Amino acid sequence: MALTDYRADAMRCTRCSYCKWIPFDLVKSHQFAKGCPSIEAGKFHAYSAGGKLVTALSLMDGRSEVTDRVVDVAFKCQLCGNCDVACKMCRYDMEPILALRELRAHLVEMDRVPESYRPLIERKRAALAGKGPKTPADRNAWAEGLGLKDPAVEPVDVVFYAGCKYSLEESLRETVRTQVRLLQLAGLTVGLFENGCCGGLADKMGYRDEAAEAGARMLKQWADAGVKTVVTPCADCRHTFTRVYPGLDGAPADLPEILHTVELTDRLVKDGRLELTTPVPLTVTYHDPCNLGRQGEPYQVWEGVEKKIYGQAVVYDPPRPRHNGANGVYAAPRDLLAAIPGVELVEMERSREATWCCGAGGACREAFPEYSAATAAERVEEAASTGAEALVSACSRCELNFAEAVAADAASGGPAAGMQVHDVLELVALSTGLREEAS
Amino acid sequence: MNPSYAKPTTPAAMATQSAQLSEEAYRALEDIVGAANVSRDAAVLDTYAFQWLAELVRPDQSHYMPRPAAVVLPGSTEEVQAIVRLANKYGLKVKPHGTGWYHWSGPIKDEDATLQLDMRRMDAIVEIDEQNMYAVVEPYVIAAQLQAEILPLGLNLNIPGVGCSSSIVASACAYHGAGPDTYYMGGNAENVLGMEWVTPEGEIIRTGSLGSGDGWFCSEGPGPSVRGICRGTLGSRGGLGVYTKCAVKLAPHFGQTEWNVEGTLPAYRLPVHENLRVYTLAVADWDAWAEIYYKIYDNEIGYIFHRQFNLAGADLSPAFWLMHNDASKTLSDVPEFVADPKIAELTEELRISFQLILAGRSRDDIELQDKILEAILDEVGGWKVERFCEQDMAEFTNVYLQRLGHKHINFVWAGGYIGSWMQFGTPDWVKGYVPTAAAGLERDAAAGKLVQCGGDAMMGSGSGIPLGGATGLEQFVSYDPDDYESTVAGIMHMEDAVKDAASISYPPGKEFLYLQIGWTDEQIWDALAHAKQPQAFHYQRQIKEAFDPNDIGDRMYPTLPEGYEAGS
Repeated sequence: MALTDYRADAMRCTRCSYCKWIPFDLVKSHQFAKGCPSIEAGKFHAYSAGGKLVTALSLMDGRSEVTDRVVDVAFKCQLCGNCDVACKMCRYDMEPILALRELRAHLVEMDRVPESYRPLIERKRAALAGKGPKTPADRNAWAEGLGLKDPAVEPVDVVFYAGCKYSLEESLRETVRTQVRLLQLAGLTVGLFENGCCGGLADKMGYRDEAAEAGARMLKQWADAGVKTVVTPCADCRHTFTRVYPGLDGAPADLPEILHTVELTDRLVKDGRLELTTPVPLTVTYHDPCNLGRQGEPYQVWEGVEKKIYGQAVVYDPPRPRHNGANGVYAAPRDLLAAIPGVELVEMERSREATWCCGAGGACREAFPEYSAATAAERVEEAASTGAEALVSACSRCELNFAEAVAADAASGGPAAGMQVHDVLELVALSTGLREEAS
Repeated sequence: MNPSYAKPTTPAAMATQSAQLSEEAYRALEDIVGAANVSRDAAVLDTYAFQWLAELVRPDQSHYMPRPAAVVLPGSTEEVQAIVRLANKYGLKVKPHGTGWYHWSGPIKDEDATLQLDMRRMDAIVEIDEQNMYAVVEPYVIAAQLQAEILPLGLNLNIPGVGCSSSIVASACAYHGAGPDTYYMGGNAENVLGMEWVTPEGEIIRTGSLGSGDGWFCSEGPGPSVRGICRGTLGSRGGLGVYTKCAVKLAPHFGQTEWNVEGTLPAYRLPVHENLRVYTLAVADWDAWAEIYYKIYDNEIGYIFHRQFNLAGADLSPAFWLMHNDASKTLSDVPEFVADPKIAELTEELRISFQLILAGRSRDDIELQDKILEAILDEVGGWKVERFCEQDMAEFTNVYLQRLGHKHINFVWAGGYIGSWMQFGTPDWVKGYVPTAAAGLERDAAAGKLVQCGGDAMMGSGSGIPLGGATGLEQFVSYDPDDYESTVAGIMHMEDAVKDAASISYPPGKEFLYLQIGWTDEQIWDALAHAKQPQAFHYQRQIKEAFDPNDIGDRMYPTLPEGYEAGS
């Protein structure tokens, strides 16, 4: 695709501003009605999805040029997908999130990126070339002693892919190890390849070639070993596997089944292969990671053309699949929490498809740390407003951002002081008796 | 095709140059609001110039209104005041907008150096007075936000037809504000109480009871009333100063105070409270339509009264809405729905239909209203449309009309829509233009350049109790703004609708307002001079001269030059 492929989206944008809010039917308060972190930080209309579309149109029309402000508009955005959900409340002919990603790729091609991107992408390139500070073997150090198999050598039930954060962040080590041990407790044989980054971060930054290179490597590894199921604890990696890889050149028609660990663990609990018996007396609120929730629904790559019916009504040939956030992974984590004796779930106002982003997505944690932190702070405030003792999620990036936001809030005497931050599966592990306390 | 709308040979890069402001003025703006809250980046400015409907009135059918000289985000009334004074000093225009939806919310003339005021930083609910049933809000508070806060208090507000995404201050102080619940609650033009107004000279005027220090409860006093200056049916639409706060009257709410919406995107559902009834009703002909509107009004039953779903067009409406209620379906599936014999039958059943939500203060009250409605239906030969009254559609209708959070669906067919007709009056008078409006759309859509969804794609509020029973029907004309010929067909339709209305001795409708945005001053003066009472626009000139001597407001506040008469 090219930016010009989204020209019609821009021309048909009506500047209704739905993209700035959560779906209106779900608004429950003044405070938590807003849905787009980008415009809340950037303030000018350009920072909304509609504004980004028109920014792109203005560039395409030659009415304006790429400035530092345009770069900021395009990249200071988590690609969280709220805009996509809200727009599709009413529209069938718009693909805001795809257009936003295309704008980034376009600017990357022009080498007009935030300065903070340059060291980031250099690190990714070095890692792809095997020249990074962490070798694939280093990345697997977290799994030491877990008895994971090499899927290239022996058959396994599932291949585990930890992702960069879980592989490399010391503070997440126990969380990821626990997730593997849960699978093993349920009787699954778990495999682990030596490999690198999935390419997801590069893709979100707009560096398509680097993402494709990482994807091709991963897909070959899976194909060579005849992998049937890949499970990852990282919502971003799952998103990359399910939304980016199918569109790569040479991607097989049938990818392995891709699951997040909460999906698989939920299945195992429902199949009776994991028993949750130990009470975990805790009031929690659950944060839907954007890439597991509204952007985690089954995805089909579409190629086709626009056509008109009834004179001018816009449809597509073949029909374009509907990806509007309605069918994300919402039930599995909630069902798991409901299955844990003692856990009480209280929902935040903005949940499921209307979730306020944790702030980390779209490379913002790395490239725009202040903006990322401010976005997380708002979510932590919302979590605190529920009265929950713990903010629970299912994504390493969310959890890192939240932990830092809670600490910052506590330091300033804010309402989130003392709030715990957990991964859903840590609580599951407590209830199985696999662990005695959460990290 | 009209040769004046020949397709431009150059791409849409035209008319990018707008009047500039001086470096000195820009720095002064930065001093007022901070550098982070003002921009003159070309792309940022284009996101304000780009407006729905622009392509229908701008040269070469450009999607852009004139580019503002700068966009400014004031954070307080005092900052607004300072900006306005600066505009007076440097000879700039000021155009404020709340959420900024419509071509007239942008600058109007290329030759004007216009400061676009985006009011989004002023987004506080200042006060909710539960006892006295009003709320005070800043310009970027949208209706959905205030409604969410007041429903738990057993209160509600009129949400104008533009939807809950709209600024309350904008509709109450500066534009039109009727919607589905106007029937019971009144429009925002009626509901506005005290206002805080930064005049074009930079004075801060607090109106009505607010002006005497007695709070926000009354628009007329004790204290100065400026309703006659600021309001009227359409308001000044950004052309006469900046409204920085206002109070709106609230209404009682009879449904559940906890807003627990269920269902799946995009068709969420709100369970129907035991004190509510949610109906889609239909009648056999337009005489019966007028009759039932009168009877509902006369009997004062009901809470929300609107002809809503017909916006998708009488030929396609049932198929569209049932498709929309299936999260897996898209517009590509509509033909399949249309081909279903049951839906074909439903289409006929729904041809002249509307939605009515009854709300009772008690079970007895709602049961009484139900009986009255049954009697009315008997008298006019109307019926409840069973499929649309079933639980799924009733719950969808309930959330749709109570929250009005789907208004962007106006654009669903092709990305562009024109509201034509919409002359407001008694039901008998409104039904008088229905055949002409329907025939006009059939005719204009015949060539396939407009969406062909039936000649009657008319939608509008029921006979408002506070409005003396007035109603209106807006014809939804869908065009593709990405298709030049379709856009031109939209323009042709607007021009045709003006002529069609004249042919049956009706005044021009909403399309006339749209078209005027692209006119020259002389064309507008000529039209105003031919109005029934042109002297009103001479009075307005005197008001403008008094409040806006340096002409910082644009012509959205309509006036006639001194001595101007028809044929001048």
